[in-house]
Amino acid sequence: MQLYLPIAELPVNMFIIFGMGAAVGFLSGLLGVGGGFLLTPLLIFSGIPPAVSVATVTAQVVASSSSAALSYWRKRQIDMKLALVLTASGVVGSSLGIVTFDLLRRVGQLDFIIALCYVTFLGTIGSLMLTESVRAMLQARKGRATPLRRPGQHGWIHGLPFKMRFKRSKLYISVLPVMAIGVGIGFLGSLLGIGGGFILVPALIYLLRVPSSVVVGTSLVQMIGAMAVATVLHATTSASVDAVLAILLMVGGVIGAQFGVRIGAYVRGDQLRAMLGLLVLAVGARFLVDLVHTPAELFSLASAAGPGS
Amino acid sequence: MSPQGLLLAFAVLLAALPARAETLIVALSSQQVRISSNFTGSSITVFGAVERDAATVSRAAFYDVVVVVKGPAETVVTRKKDRFLGVWLNRSSRTFVNVPSFYAMHASRPLEQVTTPQLLKRYQLGTDQIVFPVVADDGAVSAEAGDAYREAFVRLKSNARLYQSHPYAVSFPGAEIFQTTIELPANVPTGRYVTTVYLFRDGALLASKEEPIIVVKSGFEQTSYALAQSQGFLYGLAVVLLAIFTGWLAGVIFRRD
Repeated sequence: MQLYLPIAELPVNMFIIFGMGAAVGFLSGLLGVGGGFLLTPLLIFSGIPPAVSVATVTAQVVASSSSAALSYWRKRQIDMKLALVLTASGVVGSSLGIVTFDLLRRVGQLDFIIALCYVTFLGTIGSLMLTESVRAMLQARKGRATPLRRPGQHGWIHGLPFKMRFKRSKLYISVLPVMAIGVGIGFLGSLLGIGGGFILVPALIYLLRVPSSVVVGTSLVQMIGAMAVATVLHATTSASVDAVLAILLMVGGVIGAQFGVRIGAYVRGDQLRAMLGLLVLAVGARFLVDLVHTPAELFSLASAAGPGS
Repeated sequence: MSPQGLLLAFAVLLAALPARAETLIVALSSQQVRISSNFTGSSITVFGAVERDAATVSRAAFYDVVVVVKGPAETVVTRKKDRFLGVWLNRSSRTFVNVPSFYAMHASRPLEQVTTPQLLKRYQLGTDQIVFPVVADDGAVSAEAGDAYREAFVRLKSNARLYQSHPYAVSFPGAEIFQTTIELPANVPTGRYVTTVYLFRDGALLASKEEPIIVVKSGFEQTSYALAQSQGFLYGLAVVLLAIFTGWLAGVIFRRD
């Protein structure tokens, strides 16, 4: 069934978009990620203008994150103080991201920078995840468990000033790296249309040593805050948030996620991380091919004003 | 004015009449296209009749009719990718100002058989004849036919079916009655369109007539688009609240613990 999108200004097949949302939702429930890094490229490849894709997925991330955050909230697995610091700095980051987004759109390099960032970040994170999970699988085969968190290690991060106590995470650390992470994720999130969970969670675990019991819930709160602000800013600066597209993606996403979570309970953690790593690498590779492969059409049109550019 | 003067004026008028004796009557199947949620494109049929007054004798030659539909003017950046350090990125661009966002040309015969190149140029008939003004700092006043950016623009617009040329699309059910159907694809820009019908015979333009078409979003499409454009902040806030509500609802419905 065809449905006309008022902001993207083109009709789409409702069931295909709904199915995309559900499929990405399934994977995000299965692998414990927001799925923005899959959904934004899927929308772009299916012909939705990049600006509309990025801005609309930002809204979808709010929905999927708040759905997941609710269950962590019930289990008290959120460090609210850490989440607040991360969110406040995330909001600063997403504001910077929106300004950059708008600037790049004007000079016609938005698509290129989005592709370049996807290649860089997805390539790096994907390779790290894959090697880590393969190592964990090999260790498990030998019968040894690998501790994710090595206690007692103090890197240079712990020597920074402005220390703050985060009781729930049992941490006494400087706020500077916390804020830096928040700003960075907010920036990337609003620029690329991703929640950034797959970067935020490892950063919190490996850089700040946040206990794994609260890390996912806390990062979800950060994503809700930063992406909510990014959605409003996208809507204000470029009017590129498509509410109809967002609803289709949200409903498909939250339903798909429920099935993903159920299946995910039967799969081992290191196998899930290997799958996620492969998926992240595949998306990155797809963008790399687009960047280096000679395009069939060298020219492109962009309206000098309006969301379709 | 003296009676002689009046008589003279009437005589001059009478003498001038046969030269423009043909008048065009044009009717459109609809003057407004509404884009609603199930919009997948539309079509508009242009009907017309050639009316001659009693003084004009019927002539043996055929009429030729050219129908042009132009969408609202837009400013478009055409960008060209080049390889730079191994990757492809937009390296150069040309900005066209006030070019039609939609252009459909339907004719009864190929344009070069209808009339002379001079007239085609004067009335901007056909995609080769549209004037493409270039923004001042891009070096030229307008892009001539053969310009790479201009050709790319027309090609991309044609691929999106926003520029169309159909040389045999105007049909004559009767000797002096014609009709053609303009297809508007699903991605048509909104705004005021102008349909112009040109009547030719033996290469000479006998008459022309303009009719407007309005393409508007309607109902929910219009409401949400207008809200997004004028009240971006409220629109964004509404989408965020909707997202949080959807997430919360899903969390409640699918609660497992």
